[in-house]
Amino acid sequence: MAFPPAKEGGRRTCSLVGAAALGLCLTVSAVSALAEGVATVVSPPHPPASAPGSAPKEGVDLSLSPECRVPGSKLYTLARLSSVKHALKEQRPVHVLSVGSSSSGLGASTSYPVRLENALERSLPNVDVQIESRALSGEVASGAGERLRTIVAEVEPDLVVWQVGTNDALARVDATAFADALKDTVEWIKSHHIDVVLIDPLFTQSVADDESYNELVHKVQDVAVAQGVPLVRRYEAMRFLSASSDKGSETHMLGRHFRLNDLGLRCMAEHVTRAITLSLLQPDLAATPTAGSQAKKAEPEKPAGP
Amino acid sequence: MRGPNAIDFWRGFALITIFINHIPGNTFERWTYSQYGISDAAELFVFLAGWSIGLATRDRDGRPEPALTSVVRLLSRTVEVYRAQVIIMVLALAMIAGTALLLDNPLILEWHNAGGFFADPIQSLCGLVLLTYQLGFFNILPLYVVLIAVAPVFVLLSRISRAGALALSFCIYATSLVFEWDFPSWPGDGDWFFNPFCWQLLLVLGFTLQNWSRDEPRFRAWCRRLLLPGVAIVIVGVVLSVFELRPDPLMVPEPRLIFTFDKTYLSPARLIHFCGVLLAFQLVYDWIAPKAGWLTGFLAGLGRNSLAVFSMGSLISLAAQFVRFQYGGGIVVDISVVGFGLFALGFTAWFVEWRSRRPKKAADAPAAS
Repeated sequence: MAFPPAKEGGRRTCSLVGAAALGLCLTVSAVSALAEGVATVVSPPHPPASAPGSAPKEGVDLSLSPECRVPGSKLYTLARLSSVKHALKEQRPVHVLSVGSSSSGLGASTSYPVRLENALERSLPNVDVQIESRALSGEVASGAGERLRTIVAEVEPDLVVWQVGTNDALARVDATAFADALKDTVEWIKSHHIDVVLIDPLFTQSVADDESYNELVHKVQDVAVAQGVPLVRRYEAMRFLSASSDKGSETHMLGRHFRLNDLGLRCMAEHVTRAITLSLLQPDLAATPTAGSQAKKAEPEKPAGP
Repeated sequence: MRGPNAIDFWRGFALITIFINHIPGNTFERWTYSQYGISDAAELFVFLAGWSIGLATRDRDGRPEPALTSVVRLLSRTVEVYRAQVIIMVLALAMIAGTALLLDNPLILEWHNAGGFFADPIQSLCGLVLLTYQLGFFNILPLYVVLIAVAPVFVLLSRISRAGALALSFCIYATSLVFEWDFPSWPGDGDWFFNPFCWQLLLVLGFTLQNWSRDEPRFRAWCRRLLLPGVAIVIVGVVLSVFELRPDPLMVPEPRLIFTFDKTYLSPARLIHFCGVLLAFQLVYDWIAPKAGWLTGFLAGLGRNSLAVFSMGSLISLAAQFVRFQYGGGIVVDISVVGFGLFALGFTAWFVEWRSRRPKKAADAPAAS
């Protein structure tokens, strides 16, 4: 399975940082839809020069902070986000619903939703991003997909950022049943002109060779590609980071440190932000064929109301 | 120890259903009745709790016991349930942490909302004792604590006017449906999985119907007459569940919760379906009891000791999930874990009753020491 849009995104990012001028970046890569609106997409405030001894190979995404850097191809697959774009065009706040397992919902200021909101607002200056977060415990294949619909109906967001699959993988839910339930739910969200970004399950060394766990990770990718929604490949990103960092050092996100620590959450927020901002830069026509055509059909109906 | 009866039997049945449904992905999940209807065992459990309060707050001749006795009795039960919730939450968190250590797998810490606890123990510990922090599948007892704590209000009010108690309960239910009131979760965003504002209606309904069935001969006659409509509702429920037909929560008119099949808010569809289930199955116990004495004995034993059995069931189903994670699903593993679970639940019921009998024996023979 190849993800050409992702590589393209990575290269574009490099040119973005190289230019180190946001206005220029916009003229280079932003589509007309974005240029019309006030939305500007900038990278997180980490100049590439400060990266200690990490000579970028294979298009490592330099816009991320040094300890979160992952090659673009390992980080995400992109697709259009037409509803968010629409909100940007109308210059209204972007409502984001963040759902997922435990780490999505804590009240502390360092929590993942707060980090995501900050990272998104840094990348989209002059845009008010409002994040609602909900813990969604339980399995997509047995009821959590249904509960998500209720939550979506309650929040009515422009975008759902969904950490999906870890619970199902831990419960050893049948992969096909999981994929069907996930597909149904993603289809349903899209049918209401709400964008979706999927985040696939967590990685830790002990599941590296776990076949059924990996099968579920692949199912998330399959559904994301088939449905034409952006995917943050958290599993791959975490695997890359845990392999590249020194053993026992603080940069381990899980492993010996025994939990998704502050760094892990910050990286996840950065990765999600990167996937969203680059997806927003996806030209209307050059997106993946299925995604492009489906989203295009959906868009004209949007002004008719929810 | 009381003999088997319909209430304990059905409560035992609900406990087993909840136990199996709390091991997601297992083979037997699709055989539980929760898969064939809009409502599930949680409704049955709460309704029967209300019915039991009706039984417990009267003496053997059906006369209401003194008001203060009822209040203290329910307060004592509230303390018991609260204690059970705190203990099983702590044990569950320890099981999660222990399994993560044993399998050297930090992902286990993310189990059912537990990651929040390990990431932020300071707030979460406060949330745990305030009942606002709940692990997935450990969210029924907090509801139960709140319901039994407010039950005295309805019990005493219904001695003045049953219709008044039911009306008050229904008003709270309807208001929270319309305005989407729920108890907040903390730490973390969101609300309680079982909304006490809504689910209290089921408790009050159980309590009121118990009173009516005792005092009004016509009530039972009407229940019999409504048996067929009940069966019709159950059949509709089966069709809707099997074909996965349900209202789209973004398509229904406001207030949406009145039209969706939402569990948190006990939406009207679930309530109606549950009433249908009650009517349709009202005679089943009388039919089944003489035919399968061992089954009624077993289920009623579970039901008599429901708090202990539920608590053990919660912990065993969590352990069963770990076993399934480590050894994979499949029929052999599922038969083993569910079979062991059923045995352990039966043992729990027996053990609790044995323990409660023992002090009396000791008192009978003080010279033993």
